[in-house]
Amino acid sequence: MILLAHLVCALSLLVAYILQTAVFSQTPMLNGTADLVLLFLAAWSLQDGVENSLLWAGIAGLLISIVSAMPFYAPFFGYLGVVGISKLLQRKVWRAPILAMFIVTLLSSFFQLVFYLIVLQVNGTPISWRESLDAVILPSTLLNLIFALPVYAIVNDIVGRIRPSEVEV
Amino acid sequence: MKFLKNKYTQTIVIILVVGGLLFLALSGYLTPVYNMTLNPLLSFQSWLSVRYLSLREFITSPREVTELREQNALLESQVTQLQTELIEMEERLAEADICFALLDFGRTNPEYDYVAATVIGREISPFMQYILIDKGSDDGVLYGMPVVTQQGLVGHVDAAIASAARVKLITDSTSVVNVLLQSADTEAQLVGSLTGDVSLDMIPLEVNVEPGDVVLTSGLGGNYPPNVFVGQVLSVQQRENALFQTATVQPIVDFSSISAVLVIVNFEAVDTTPLIPEE
Repeated sequence: MILLAHLVCALSLLVAYILQTAVFSQTPMLNGTADLVLLFLAAWSLQDGVENSLLWAGIAGLLISIVSAMPFYAPFFGYLGVVGISKLLQRKVWRAPILAMFIVTLLSSFFQLVFYLIVLQVNGTPISWRESLDAVILPSTLLNLIFALPVYAIVNDIVGRIRPSEVEV
Repeated sequence: MKFLKNKYTQTIVIILVVGGLLFLALSGYLTPVYNMTLNPLLSFQSWLSVRYLSLREFITSPREVTELREQNALLESQVTQLQTELIEMEERLAEADICFALLDFGRTNPEYDYVAATVIGREISPFMQYILIDKGSDDGVLYGMPVVTQQGLVGHVDAAIASAARVKLITDSTSVVNVLLQSADTEAQLVGSLTGDVSLDMIPLEVNVEPGDVVLTSGLGGNYPPNVFVGQVLSVQQRENALFQTATVQPIVDFSSISAVLVIVNFEAVDTTPLIPEE
């Protein structure tokens, strides 16, 4: 069962990564793009009974750092932070998972993009905060919020299929 | 009545009777007789014909409908197949147009060897302007090689694996390209930005730059070959007390819809990093 969950998660991440680079990154709003991997990880970690989501966040971060021009540690810590936020909020907003998904998407998008911005600025990239906020951070967050619900529905369906249904006694 | 047994007489009588009947018919004297005999016959014939046709229609029509439906389905499938072929042909035509354009660029710049590559993705981080191409070190694509299209400069190879490579676009905020303003015959630096806009920096104040001036690579620094078309000047900005003037450039390449590129594989970029003094 656990093996199947890992397999499904790995395959889903791969599909999310391919869709991200081939489709979502090529359809920007201003300069912002939706992050399907982030949305998948957030939705996955919000599901009940799903374990090792931090492990998969780390793996996703490493996978992204191979192809991304970002410093290798940026996606790694970025996605770990996303799952960390998700786990924190899951305990607080556990009665309304969809609301939790929106809040996690909002907070984790902000966290990840601001983290990327700081990393790039530390590495000497001449990017201004205001321009980043207007052209990248806000549009990306908005796109992530738009795609949050469908991604959550898909991930919820996937997890529902691989998890055995609970029997009430 | 013996005279009727004679053949000639019989013939004459038949002719006379038929002629008489014809005469009577043509004269209208036989109309009541026709009506009495033919009308019931015609009515019956009509009734029978209608019933027969109805019966035939009843028996044959379902077959025709089925047959027509089958034919319709067959034709629809043929239409679908032809539409699919048409779409494939259009795609091939578009690819062929790109290939011809790339080939044309190769012909006009015969001193370089090119490897054509397809764009297979973009950088995940929205802060950076990179593309992923489907050719890598197995195809001779290596770090630092310039990347162009039939229109002009795209960027350079930033990283390469066996079957793919990452290309840094000239629009990236960390990109700096040494360029030549053709009409002013002066050199400047083309820098990218977060939003993907490119601008010219380090233009001496005394140089007269006009909108529409052509921007080419200068070859200075050894990162790019000289005289590759980059774009045109859109507007010029001069600030008071500034040491240099700046200009906004419209790149000739549409980076949002770039689908195929050429990698110049026989150009060796010069790494000047060791020559730059450390701060």
